Amino acid sequence: MRHPVFRAMLAGSFVVLAGFAISQEMPTGDQNSAQQKPYQSMTTDQRAAATRSFLGLGPEPDKAAAKRGEPLFQRNCAFCHGQQARGATGASLITSDEVLGDDHGEHLVPFLKKGRPQNGMPAFAAMSDDQLSDIAEFLHLQVEDVANRGTYKVLNILVGDAAEGRAYVNAHCMSCHTADRFAHIASQFRSPEQLQRGWIWPTRNGDGSLSTTATVKTSDGRIAVGRVTQVSDFRITLVDRAGQMHVIDREPGVEVQIKDPLAAHQELIMMLTNNDMHNVTAYLETLH
Amino acid sequence: MRLVNGFCAAVAAAILAVTTHVPHVFLDPNIIGKAPITTWTTFNGDYRGQRYSTLNQIRPANVNRLEQRWVFKITGIGALRGVPAPVIKCTPLLVGGVLYLTIPDHLWALDARTGNPLWHYEWVDHGGHLIGQRGVAIWKSTVYFLTPDNWLVALNANTGQELWRKNYADARKQYFSTAAPLVVKNHVIVGVGGDAMDMPGFLDSFDPVTGKLQWTWWSTPRKGDPALKTWPNETTSEHGGGMTWMPGTYDPELNLLYWPTGNTNPVFAGQGRPGANLWTESIVALNPDTGQLKWYYQVSPHDTHDFDNTTAPILFDRVVDGKTQRLVAQAARNGFFVTLDRVSGKYLVMKPYVPLDYFSGLTPQGEPIPIPDKDPTVGGSINIVNATNWQAPAYSPKTGLVYVNSVEGKAIYYLTDDTAQPSGYGGTGDSIGHVQRVLQAIDPLTGKAVWKHVYPNLNNAPTTVGPSILTTASNLLITGDDQKNVIIYSADKDQILWHHEISANESGGVITYLLDGKQYILFGAGDSLYAWSLSR
Repeated sequence: MRHPVFRAMLAGSFVVLAGFAISQEMPTGDQNSAQQKPYQSMTTDQRAAATRSFLGLGPEPDKAAAKRGEPLFQRNCAFCHGQQARGATGASLITSDEVLGDDHGEHLVPFLKKGRPQNGMPAFAAMSDDQLSDIAEFLHLQVEDVANRGTYKVLNILVGDAAEGRAYVNAHCMSCHTADRFAHIASQFRSPEQLQRGWIWPTRNGDGSLSTTATVKTSDGRIAVGRVTQVSDFRITLVDRAGQMHVIDREPGVEVQIKDPLAAHQELIMMLTNNDMHNVTAYLETLH
Repeated sequence: MRLVNGFCAAVAAAILAVTTHVPHVFLDPNIIGKAPITTWTTFNGDYRGQRYSTLNQIRPANVNRLEQRWVFKITGIGALRGVPAPVIKCTPLLVGGVLYLTIPDHLWALDARTGNPLWHYEWVDHGGHLIGQRGVAIWKSTVYFLTPDNWLVALNANTGQELWRKNYADARKQYFSTAAPLVVKNHVIVGVGGDAMDMPGFLDSFDPVTGKLQWTWWSTPRKGDPALKTWPNETTSEHGGGMTWMPGTYDPELNLLYWPTGNTNPVFAGQGRPGANLWTESIVALNPDTGQLKWYYQVSPHDTHDFDNTTAPILFDRVVDGKTQRLVAQAARNGFFVTLDRVSGKYLVMKPYVPLDYFSGLTPQGEPIPIPDKDPTVGGSINIVNATNWQAPAYSPKTGLVYVNSVEGKAIYYLTDDTAQPSGYGGTGDSIGHVQRVLQAIDPLTGKAVWKHVYPNLNNAPTTVGPSILTTASNLLITGDDQKNVIIYSADKDQILWHHEISANESGGVITYLLDGKQYILFGAGDSLYAWSLSR
């Protein structure tokens, strides 16, 4: 049976999934995040494994076998079931009981040998067990590609017009930034997708200049100024220039003024059109 | 044998019974869904989904005397599959002095006077997601519990003995269950979740005594149904999603269920399913005796953003133009506030309650017309994050306002499968910029917020978990923030009356009840259930 694995999953302390790319809540709320490895910093394989475990999908498909099985599938099966096994004149195999009931060919190989002649599916008795097993792995990979969203990859996101993007940057960014800021900007990011995220909402990590700061005046007239590390309705925590932490209860009479150096970027996010986003990314990607 | 608090070491046996105290729980079916006073009989307390209590022992003048009476901490469970630690996401039920508390695969009966466990039932699952469990349903002396791998389990409410079990969906096809069933007359109504594999949603109704299936309502149309014209063909409809993973509400006078349906499949890739895609993303009115659809209103036609329309549809009556109107309102996950006539399904209000710009207008039926450019694309498309989620909103008949913990912010959505025949999610979305939680008090007759409270927070508000809301006759609004504070507001205005920091964020439903003449406030936060009342 291609049944989910029910051990306590994932050796080590990193656990599963971020993004809100799931209909229900994902366990990334701050209350659980203490020892979690951020989803973003996982390798592709770690993401796939973590998501497979969370979703209770079956064993990992054998990719090498699936690759061998692909041409066999295209030659023998795709005409009815579609190139990605998502159905054509024949049924989609993604949610097929035969496929989901199989781990590594032990069920599918004998099934394919016999076929389902009564439903118009021929027997593949002339193919070897190895070949049929490779087809089975190809099918499992098609299921994985659909159901395991930890394997999803963005496509080529460079769809914008660089010249238009340059015009946008000149018109909208130069009141705060100088041209130096954009020189070689693309080389600071691993991918165009990271670049797109990064220019729209720069990370605050390691760069004190992008931290939210506050000036807090207490009711007895004392003033604390520093980098905000926490703020709620009831308390604010600051680290001042000397590195000293101030924890201040927000009682009546306490005045708090907060300044976010990324406020202009937040406004940008609320207004940015898709075209402008694509164009600017296309332009910045030329600045290697 | 007397068990100490926090006993629940992982046990192989399905149940541990404490012999010294056998309760006598029997819930008269006639009081199920009535205004909660000494009981809490359904997920939302009543059938209307208001999460409003008529109790007024705890009131603005004495909230500063609130004290913790007891706390029940779940221990010995450890990490669940894909979930690092247990988090209470249920609304506990209370009947006959016994509280019923759940997390995935686990159900406890607790003595409401002490928080001590009376019995514990553990299910060994064979699949399904362990992401959350909303709680049980109860009828006479039977408790109904849904498992991650889609079993309806009936248990003796007094002993935890299993009476029968019934499987209603295949976990291998990524169906999984987190819901609380809803008991209406002689029906146990069960919803289902799961959108990784393009399966259709449904509601099942079971006989409370025998577990026999009474009817099934599918969230997408089948052969011969006129609604099929909102799909390219029958196959896409049969793989179109529309999960029913949150409990609905019920009007006994009209004998209608109001059920919210989830997102369309494939989730982010809509190019293979042109059309409105009924009845996903809708509020549907169903006859509980037959499962027949009386009317529908689609809140997100042709959804491509996982807008998952599963927030509670709240029922209330209001006098409009001198006539009493029977209404249903929902703060939808797509960022719209909707108020409908619950007899006919005709809309009165359809208005954004968070900043959004993805629609070009409303159809004559009042349904938003999405702008195609805002769909997920290969290059990325900016749209809102989910404006709310499963966490419970509330309505106060005293103020006439609907309360919702909303989320404001944006995300970039990418299409990762641009083929003509996408499958599964087919895309991703990740928030960009600051995402903030805003408590809103919305007038359901206008859709406008009468007051708002922005929760200050350096961190982004999680869009998939968040604090639920309860209101009371004494003008209290009880909820929490994302920084471990339980907060009581004045329901008629943005004024904080009381707060208390606990060990985790409020994570399940907040309930209140009278026990031995004393009003309690009860809520789950992380792995612990807290019971509060006034100091003596």
